[in-house]
Amino acid sequence: MSDEKPYRRLETQALLQQIAFRHGLEAMNASEEGNLAWVTSGFPVEIPFAMNVFPTYPEQAGAIIGAQKIGPEVCGYAEDMGYTQELCSYAMVSIGSTDRPDDVPMGSLPTPQALLACNNICGTVLKWYDGISQMTGAPVYLLDTPPLEGDQTPHHREYVRSGVERLVEFLSTTFQTSLEEERFREVSELSSKAIHLWTSALKECQKSPSPLNCADRFLTMAPVVSSRGTEHCVEFYEALLEEVQDRAKQGIGAVREEKVRLLWDNIPPWFALRFFNKLAAKGVVFPADTYTHAWSGAVEGTDTRSILDAIVDIYSNVYLNKGLDAKVDKMCQLIKDFDLDAFVMFSVRSCKRYSLGQYVSKEIVTERTGIPGVVIEGDMVDSRLFNEAQIETRIEALLEMVT
Amino acid sequence: MKDEDKLGVGLDIGSTTAKGVLIDSTGRVIASHLQMTGASAPRSVESILSALKETSDLDLFDIPTISTGYGRNIVEIATDTVTEITCHAVGISRLNPEIRFIVDVGGQDSKVMRLGSNGRPADFELNDKCSAGTGRFLEVMARVLEVSIEELGPLALESQAPCTISSTCTVFAESEVVGRIGAGETPTDIAAGVHLAMASKIGSLARRVGIKEPICITGGVAKNPAFRHYLSKELGGELWVPENPQLTGALGAAYLALERH
Repeated sequence: MSDEKPYRRLETQALLQQIAFRHGLEAMNASEEGNLAWVTSGFPVEIPFAMNVFPTYPEQAGAIIGAQKIGPEVCGYAEDMGYTQELCSYAMVSIGSTDRPDDVPMGSLPTPQALLACNNICGTVLKWYDGISQMTGAPVYLLDTPPLEGDQTPHHREYVRSGVERLVEFLSTTFQTSLEEERFREVSELSSKAIHLWTSALKECQKSPSPLNCADRFLTMAPVVSSRGTEHCVEFYEALLEEVQDRAKQGIGAVREEKVRLLWDNIPPWFALRFFNKLAAKGVVFPADTYTHAWSGAVEGTDTRSILDAIVDIYSNVYLNKGLDAKVDKMCQLIKDFDLDAFVMFSVRSCKRYSLGQYVSKEIVTERTGIPGVVIEGDMVDSRLFNEAQIETRIEALLEMVT
Repeated sequence: MKDEDKLGVGLDIGSTTAKGVLIDSTGRVIASHLQMTGASAPRSVESILSALKETSDLDLFDIPTISTGYGRNIVEIATDTVTEITCHAVGISRLNPEIRFIVDVGGQDSKVMRLGSNGRPADFELNDKCSAGTGRFLEVMARVLEVSIEELGPLALESQAPCTISSTCTVFAESEVVGRIGAGETPTDIAAGVHLAMASKIGSLARRVGIKEPICITGGVAKNPAFRHYLSKELGGELWVPENPQLTGALGAAYLALERH
């Protein structure tokens, strides 16, 4: 029997550590210089970048805490402060590690001078950042993007547009900076370029065998979330796309013997990424997921006005900010485009916004695509909520239905 | 070995009981055995195999074996593992090909399956991380009411006015039952209320998958007449009960062992 692993490791993954290290250093410097903002994952980061305010991501730090398998412990620090276990575990570990940085291996994120929240991904972010504001003294700016049902109305666009303009004012006063058109154009071009490279890499997974599996995408999405708008982010995705295209051209799959192609819905259990590798041993690959496909809107424009318009459009139309139909449509489209056999919906206890309506969505997706799905339960960071034996049975039963 | 001499073994290692079935090439059951899983699943596998050997008087060496249930991965001699969802579907389809819906209520889990015309699962659901709606729920309630688990069902059937147990959590329901006893409700009505609550919990699981008749019930709890009565009312259809409702998973595993090897 061969000792070969059932999955192939990406060479580009090695560059990730460098990027993460660099990001950490830059955040530390920015904090010392009084230029650091904590931002939520759906925030129009192109604006702070263009105004020389460095953004860093508590959600990403939460994912790292999850991957280090210390989620329950760090969530516990927030529970000790009186926060409930029902609260988002990204918020819990963020609050917990801010309260007790010395008890967390990577410490807490460097002290912010501003907290920038956009509620296009959920409403919890505001209260979470309010909590952090009490602890750090940094002011909160909320970019309010009311949920959309159907197309964005002119009134909605105008409202978000005024929020974006006030954001520019807020950053100008808080950080004594300004938004210069040339720099803004440069940042938005770099951001769009990274997004195009990333979405091209995702698209390659339509091929069989798929050159990327779920865990590959969950790791390599980090720069497009945290560093879009920078040159090194573009360089990373050029390298990734080259490797992915090379794999696709040569028929090299992320999984050595691809037999079943599944769709993944929701944030992954960061503490159990090996779960995907275990499935790889059964020939299971996930060529697409709803999570990493969320970073696909390119901010394109020729001047400050048109770039701001693009930002209003893209950041309002994140599908978590739209009705359930948008998510169902997205799933059905991915199933069709990526030629998938079944789907797995991860019901994340923390993330009510993402997990809402999954049972109904499952029914509708099966009705529309004719393929079966399963809902499994757990959390992205708090492993106390993840029962591996129950999850294995559900997934294996699903596989038995399609093989 | 000639085809007609072929044998198959199915082992269903559940959270509460472990079951084994040995069949011949015609699908006839030659031997079967059921026991508590206990603290050591490997030991219960050994003891099932020796019971099957003793009853059949056959040497079971090198016979295709499929294991299922939560302990399926610890069965070293298994040629293959298959989930209990598929095994129950296969077992029941062979016993009664008409069945389109299975409710399986075991010691610590409950599951519902809708079957396709091929007798395989088309959709399924399992209970979540909670013992409400499982055999454990009834065991706890029987203890509180100071009757044996076998007596609980018949006791409930005597009730004319089942009381309402609002909680579906085993622990909270236990305190609720204690409260009912304190309030002077009869054990008969409380027992009926307990079955009603459980049937309603399974009912909502079943509706999630889409109920399709004819319906079958398996697992240890299928032997409880009051649960069958209330579940049948809840699902709005007659329930077909196999002769040995606890063995259908192991039986399905044995059929698959024959089919595949």
